[in-house]
Amino acid sequence: MSGEQDLVVSTVREILAGHEPVKLTAERRWDAQLWAELADAGLTGVGLPEEAGGSGGELADAVAVVATLAAGAGAVPVAEQLLVAGPALLAAGLSLPPVGEPLTVSVSGGLRVEDGRLTGTATDVPWAGVARHLVVVADGPDGEVLALVDVAELEAGDATNLAGEPRGSYVLDGVPAQVGPVGELRARYALARALQLSAAAETVLAWTVQYAGERVQFGRPLAKFQGIQVQLAQMAGEVTAVSALVDAAVQRLDRGEPLELAAAAAKVRAGAAVDVVARLAHQVHGAIGFTLEHRLHHLTTRMWSWRDDAGNETTWARVLGAAVAGDDPWPALVGVV
Amino acid sequence: MPSTLTLAPAPPSEAAEAVRLEVRQFLAEELAAGTFSTHVDTWLSGVDPAFSRKLGERGWLGMTWPKEYGGHERTAMERYAVTEELLAAGAPVAAHWIADRQSGPNLLRYGTETQRKEILPRIAAGECYFVIGMSEPDSGSDLASIRTKAVRNADGDWVVDGAKVWTSNAHHSHYAIVLVRTAPADPTARHAGMSQLLVDLSLPGITINPIRILDGGHHFNEVVFDSVVVPGDMLLGEEGAGWHQVTAELAFERSGPERILSTFPLLAEFARRASSPAELATLGRLSARLLALRQLSIRIAAALDRGELPDIPAALVKDVGTTFEADVAEEIRRVVDVPASLDSPDPLGRALAEAQLHQPGYTLRGGTNEILRGIVARGLGLR
Repeated sequence: MSGEQDLVVSTVREILAGHEPVKLTAERRWDAQLWAELADAGLTGVGLPEEAGGSGGELADAVAVVATLAAGAGAVPVAEQLLVAGPALLAAGLSLPPVGEPLTVSVSGGLRVEDGRLTGTATDVPWAGVARHLVVVADGPDGEVLALVDVAELEAGDATNLAGEPRGSYVLDGVPAQVGPVGELRARYALARALQLSAAAETVLAWTVQYAGERVQFGRPLAKFQGIQVQLAQMAGEVTAVSALVDAAVQRLDRGEPLELAAAAAKVRAGAAVDVVARLAHQVHGAIGFTLEHRLHHLTTRMWSWRDDAGNETTWARVLGAAVAGDDPWPALVGVV
Repeated sequence: MPSTLTLAPAPPSEAAEAVRLEVRQFLAEELAAGTFSTHVDTWLSGVDPAFSRKLGERGWLGMTWPKEYGGHERTAMERYAVTEELLAAGAPVAAHWIADRQSGPNLLRYGTETQRKEILPRIAAGECYFVIGMSEPDSGSDLASIRTKAVRNADGDWVVDGAKVWTSNAHHSHYAIVLVRTAPADPTARHAGMSQLLVDLSLPGITINPIRILDGGHHFNEVVFDSVVVPGDMLLGEEGAGWHQVTAELAFERSGPERILSTFPLLAEFARRASSPAELATLGRLSARLLALRQLSIRIAAALDRGELPDIPAALVKDVGTTFEADVAEEIRRVVDVPASLDSPDPLGRALAEAQLHQPGYTLRGGTNEILRGIVARGLGLR
């Protein structure tokens, strides 16, 4: 991480320090205050060019912001804005809505765009009801396209994911849309979630190591029991593997190389690590980690949900598998990332 | 993550990608000419001195060593690309593997000038092979409990008594680097009093007895030393520093792509026929795991290029990597109904059989995964 990213990370951490993660409820669907503070600091436009209305900076800066917020369980649609919908809109040649207004994404399909109007139901929409703008994948007359619509006035329902983050739906009935090439919207979404999973898993490991060092049973800290050490070492193996692959996929995005297969691999690997990391973290934390009183759930419930977003491991594994299958699998495999 | 466990990203290496394509071309030609056939786990079982000499002729052994010792002064990243291509193709690399991977670097670090001048060029030529003399019948994971001893005689030579086991391909090899007690065991300093000796396996008093593994293959041996007189100048490194030297050697032993790719030939065979959604999903899941491990393994090669000895990350990668190697066969057989048999008419059935029968070895050799997790726990600051 460069000095620039250190600065971005410390700024995000300072803001996060005033926002202990909250249990999201029907009344409190996101952390609007956190979003406002991030927007005031220009952090909801990091990595998006200034001439397009962003705050400038590099991809690495946006990645640092998203990872830091994921590790802190910040209930704001920053990943969607900085790494998915925002850059996808710009890549499609469309204009970016004001970066102070939350922007989100849906890749559920089931949508049709004709003569600049979008029709159908967008489902599994992160931050539905919170976001002002929505970027979707839709079928156009000549194939798949990307479409941007204003959803500020639309009903989104109150469905949530396992962490209480909104995952509602929008019924779109000929809503005016801006349309462009779909590009790598799906891959960007998958990679963004893989990045968030990686950051969350790393923090969960750190919390678990810390807890094991503090909690005393049978006269010694849990960390001194070999059985616990084995569990923590397994968690470290998962966290390290995920982080290296996500890094490599982000590098690929930074170099402007085709992203789909690298994002597929990162999403599959990160999703697969969730069970090991979350399960062992809860096991080591014992009963207190199973309560809303303890901080652990803020990240484990998000990990259980983020792995389902943007296509789960099975969906992306088929994409990756189809690319590796064939007479010469080795060159195909090492060309992925 | 604690800094002990993290590895900096590897800078891209054009030289590595160039030599990778050369090796790939060479392997395609050799396969087409029928000089070898693909198998699982060939860095243990594929002994072929003629093939090893071909690699030596092409400059693909001793790659990182100084030219004055027959090396080629190339980077660890280039060596990584070469070894990875050889493993992926299931090529017969067992004859030279240990010598090229760890005995050569060990000699380079601790050997006398005479030893280096005489032995290293032969290793780099693919003509001189080594075995690891660490484990004993009563000392597996607890290496500090070894009992093989070496005592100086009146001539200043070492008289060695004891036995080493799991010495892969000793019956095809020329030398062993043997960890011995040169001072009696001290319960208050378990790691003291050990030394490494460079032992010519043709010396009188050495008996090599085969130990067959589950597929009937003869790779392992018991090497028995019965009052073997080893010349005094064959002490490797410092007397009493054996434990420290072995630890450094194990970093090389544990850090390579053979800890993630032993079963790749099976995965490749599966990939050639995977077509149903379930098969493609399995192939994709295994590919994603391998790609993550590969990134870690490449980072270790880059760390070696920076002159680091990444023993703790290497332990972590070997733990996760060998678990993956074992899972490959299990995951594949969940989606295909092909009986595993060494006599199968189907290449997938044969590869499944090889991978299955070698499976217990992946997570044992070079340090059991339990030992490795202990090392990772140390990296996490837990012990």
